[in-house]
Amino acid sequence: MIAALVARNTFREATRDRVIAGVIGAGLVLLLGTQILSPLAMGEGKRLTVDLGLSGISLLGILVTLLVGTSLVAKEIERRTIYNLLSRPIARPHYLLGKWIGMIAALWVVTGGLGLALWALLLARGFAPNALSLLQAVYLAGLELALVAALAVMFSALSTPVLSALYTLGAFLIGQWSDDLRAYADQLPGALAPVLHATSNLVPNLPLFNMRTLAANGETTTLLHLGLASAYALVYCACVLSLAAAAFESRDFK
Amino acid sequence: MQVTTRPAEVWPATGSKAAGPSPMDANLAICVRGMAKHYRSPWTLRITRGLEELDLDVERGQVLGLLGPNGAGKTTTLKLLTGLLKPSCGNAWLLGVPIAEPRSRKPLGFLPEQPYFYDYLTGLEYLELAGGLSGLPGIEAHERARHWLGRVGLGDRPRLLLRKYSKGMLQRLGLAAALVHGPEILILDEPMSGLDPYGRRDVRELILEQHARGVTVLFSSHILPDVESVADRVAILHRGRLVRAVEPRDLAAGVARRVIIRCEGAPILEIPPGWRGRVARRPGGSDSEFEVSSGVEVNSVLDWLVRSGVKIRAVTPLGTGLEEIFLSATAGNAESNDGDAPRSEGEPPSVGEAQPLGHPTLPPGRGGPERGIPPARLERGRRVA
Repeated sequence: MIAALVARNTFREATRDRVIAGVIGAGLVLLLGTQILSPLAMGEGKRLTVDLGLSGISLLGILVTLLVGTSLVAKEIERRTIYNLLSRPIARPHYLLGKWIGMIAALWVVTGGLGLALWALLLARGFAPNALSLLQAVYLAGLELALVAALAVMFSALSTPVLSALYTLGAFLIGQWSDDLRAYADQLPGALAPVLHATSNLVPNLPLFNMRTLAANGETTTLLHLGLASAYALVYCACVLSLAAAAFESRDFK
Repeated sequence: MQVTTRPAEVWPATGSKAAGPSPMDANLAICVRGMAKHYRSPWTLRITRGLEELDLDVERGQVLGLLGPNGAGKTTTLKLLTGLLKPSCGNAWLLGVPIAEPRSRKPLGFLPEQPYFYDYLTGLEYLELAGGLSGLPGIEAHERARHWLGRVGLGDRPRLLLRKYSKGMLQRLGLAAALVHGPEILILDEPMSGLDPYGRRDVRELILEQHARGVTVLFSSHILPDVESVADRVAILHRGRLVRAVEPRDLAAGVARRVIIRCEGAPILEIPPGWRGRVARRPGGSDSEFEVSSGVEVNSVLDWLVRSGVKIRAVTPLGTGLEEIFLSATAGNAESNDGDAPRSEGEPPSVGEAQPLGHPTLPPGRGGPERGIPPARLERGRRVA
């Protein structure tokens, strides 16, 4: 109940921020921009539109996470608005959970809205999109954003907005290459291999949420993949938020 | 209110050895046992002591004023009670519930020293959020938010965004947020600081109104008249330590009060032998000043001056009872009143520390405005720091 109130307030904060409106505007421009490149794709207009559109949605979501999510808690501490919340009967873990839920709700509004715009654009161009494939791709992009938002909330609770943005960006980039890290670890000799393996398992496995190529080809993924990705995101977010809550619990607000 | 201090070495941490009423005593609204706050710098590992072991009881329905110069530990105490800081040792209970539990803050209304708000919310939304977070169901939160918005004079523009509020409006909204859920304990940190005379009067009236409703009020201030006008009892903190508890009887017991009589010109008068030592001429500019200490009827001195043909220009009481007590309790560290920072480990204790309550912390003759605090600072609204 309390976490829901915090989430609602965070959602309001995020959606009343001009950044979100700006990002949605930029996303629409990007989608329309794909149509300039479309004639150059030599009959692959649909594929290019879907691929660029989904990449754009994902990147813009990350941009919102970096601009809004990484300052969610830190800004509250800096501006001391956190006094208004934590001096009330709220457990600190519930506060962080509320912040994360509010943030992902805002992110899903952005992702869902832009996904819908992409589908409408494909329809308007007569590309006959595979709605299920698009829906799956947007869903996985939303899960990826939820995971990055959890990292953003954790860093934001423990650091300044600038540093937490840098940490979140770093985690996102390393996460994108976690498959490559694993492959590289296999080739390493001696004691370095297990270390790198462990590192690659700690960073988020973001390629799991990437089905842009499938969607561009109009193909769908399996339910098993969707289920595994959902479970992985849930467990990873729970671990990250638990770590954040443990560190946040003893924090003083001077 | 019962207040005790004890040396740190006999007060280890948990409060389990506390003397006085039990924390579960139904008559106690706030119970603090051996609560301290120390900060350790992560770089130098140096420990700064924000609050020494504090024992404090506030009974239900009382208004307790926490008085002290800047850096005395007032805000630290209030933030510990409201869960914003974690105590280094000791414990406290709000209505019998340990402050470590979030539910202890359910009956609590808190106004921070400088309340900050979500500027993207409207006044109504903010109060609804405040009520909801304190456990009010949705519809009740909405109704109470509307009521309190009107009660603090902001009801005519409920949809105005907080970024368009003036400072005074925000302060009133902060008070409304502290009261929206009908708290049983109200904690206010410097509630009158930065307000104009109307605002201060409104806050004073609100505190008295809540007191009449039976709400326990704990507030901090360094404005003596404000404390004196609303508090039933006063606890004086200095350099992180509770140095004096002032009961009503202390204020009413005729604490030494002095009066300055300013006369026109510099008349040559010999002070009658019976008043010597109790009436003294003070060096002034072109005028004369006589300081009349307690034990001498001011009217008699005025009569004598008028009969001697002297024109009286002003009669000024030098400090109220509370002011006298405050100055004597915190004297000897007057220089630290200018931005007194929390002390670091190893720094020698101040003169007044570790002395039993109820005793002046300095020998007689070293208190009062002439002891290092310029009188002008006291006369400007009686702000001590």
